[in-house]
Amino acid sequence: MWGQILVNGMIAGGKYAMLALGFSLIFGVARIMNLTHTAYYMLSAYLIYYFNQTLSMPLALSYILSITMVIVIGMAVYKVMVAPVRERFTAVLIITLVLAMVVQEAVLIIFGGHYRTLPKLVSGTTQFSGMTLTYQHLFTLGAVIFVLGAIWLLLFKSRLGIAIRAMAMDREVANLMGMPESQIASITVAISVGLAAIAGAVVAPLFIVEPAMWMHPLVVVMAAVILGGLGSIKGSIIGAFILAFAEVGLVFLLPQLAFLRGAVSMAVMLAVLMIRPEGLFGIFMEGER
Amino acid sequence: MTGDFLEVNNLSKRFGGLHAIRDVSFSVNRQEVVGLIGPNGAGKTTLVRLILGIIKANSGQVIFKGQNLTGKKTWTIVGQGIAGTFQNARPFAHLPIIANVMVPCLGPRASRRGEWVKTVEARAMDALEFVGIADLAKEPASRLSQGDLKRLEVARAIACEPELLILDEPFGGLNPTETSLMAKSIRRLHKGGRFGRLHSEGPAMIIIEHKLSELMKIVDRVIVLNFGETLTMGTPEEVVNDPKVIQAYIGKEVV
Repeated sequence: MWGQILVNGMIAGGKYAMLALGFSLIFGVARIMNLTHTAYYMLSAYLIYYFNQTLSMPLALSYILSITMVIVIGMAVYKVMVAPVRERFTAVLIITLVLAMVVQEAVLIIFGGHYRTLPKLVSGTTQFSGMTLTYQHLFTLGAVIFVLGAIWLLLFKSRLGIAIRAMAMDREVANLMGMPESQIASITVAISVGLAAIAGAVVAPLFIVEPAMWMHPLVVVMAAVILGGLGSIKGSIIGAFILAFAEVGLVFLLPQLAFLRGAVSMAVMLAVLMIRPEGLFGIFMEGER
Repeated sequence: MTGDFLEVNNLSKRFGGLHAIRDVSFSVNRQEVVGLIGPNGAGKTTLVRLILGIIKANSGQVIFKGQNLTGKKTWTIVGQGIAGTFQNARPFAHLPIIANVMVPCLGPRASRRGEWVKTVEARAMDALEFVGIADLAKEPASRLSQGDLKRLEVARAIACEPELLILDEPFGGLNPTETSLMAKSIRRLHKGGRFGRLHSEGPAMIIIEHKLSELMKIVDRVIVLNFGETLTMGTPEEVVNDPKVIQAYIGKEVV
């Protein structure tokens, strides 16, 4: 059972980490609290469903098309609707929330409220020290580790990464060093939306696809970011894994309380806000002078 | 006044009821080092923030190398060749010192197409070498002393490879030894040339400073602000002996 907890925790953690990382980056660089974030995750899963099941395209092609389309949609939405009101925090909150609901309603109208499942990208199972693992689980795990590793390299070892982290730490100073803020913000939005789309794509075959699937991850992501410390990249990843293991552990160890899974993150978020608002690696408000 | 390098024309800025900058005009030549002095609250910092586009002027113009920079974004202005430092050192506290200096090296002005991270790092290292804190390169910026922070600010500003450098209190919080070291760096920088892989244009400078005796040694000309207006300008000797300036500074030491 511990092995199951480990594998499921890693997959859920990886999903939340990808989402939280994107959420955190976009908040750091562009100061946008992007409530549409997990709607992109849902949209990506539905687009794969659409390309693969409705248009019967090959699965791999559906993945690529869907991720690309979500990034394009995300960028367009940012440029047209969010960027113009970027400096007004409340307006951003309202607009991004409304957009998320628009996505949900659109999905509901187009695909209906049915629960859908995606075909596995790889099929088959294997035995590993007494547990049965599907290849899809292993594939997802590998993909999650690969993407997180790639993003880590991008952020910490590349020129763009330095620019992004500098911009997240102190916008005004980064501007004074000649960093083109709007350009870097757009690139960050693309990376962030891309991460959400990839998260949706790689985990979708393991989960049920339905029009409200964006809500729970959004709560978890906000809790992870608050737990890790708003603005801390490392913190949001660690926060995501902690919450994922807490959820998975609850489901496996206390199955009779599994219905409380959704409450774990909210409880953690409230507790952190009351006890240690700056989170584990808190650099909360530091860039806000 | 015909300074074709930097021209500031009738710049004004209001904060609510406070007229922080009132009709200020001056110019700076390509070869000049200009001191900007005045009592506290005179509007010195506001003035340079207006030039750098960090805040927007209510009226007036800033013309740099014949281009109108009024209302432009800060990064565009920096891209044109003006760099500045903040009065309170503001490092990227969670980045190592070397990465702090790599940031300006990546700006559109100073970046070289296709350059790898390693090369950018080497260039940033030369900037640290220049100000004399290369040995601290791997430390996080939050560990620096006040004096070293000021040097980091200067290193970051010169890594932008500016033609006009605006320093806001470069000697602030420094002890006499550190101050004279900093003054020496500033003079060397103004001469221009190559510092390792870093190229200095020998920038013109505007320096805000309260330590007048140190400032007067490195500037060609001084502009005095008081209550947001230019009180007077002239050579250091003229300004120091100007009764209006002495009056504005009453209760404060003047050289």
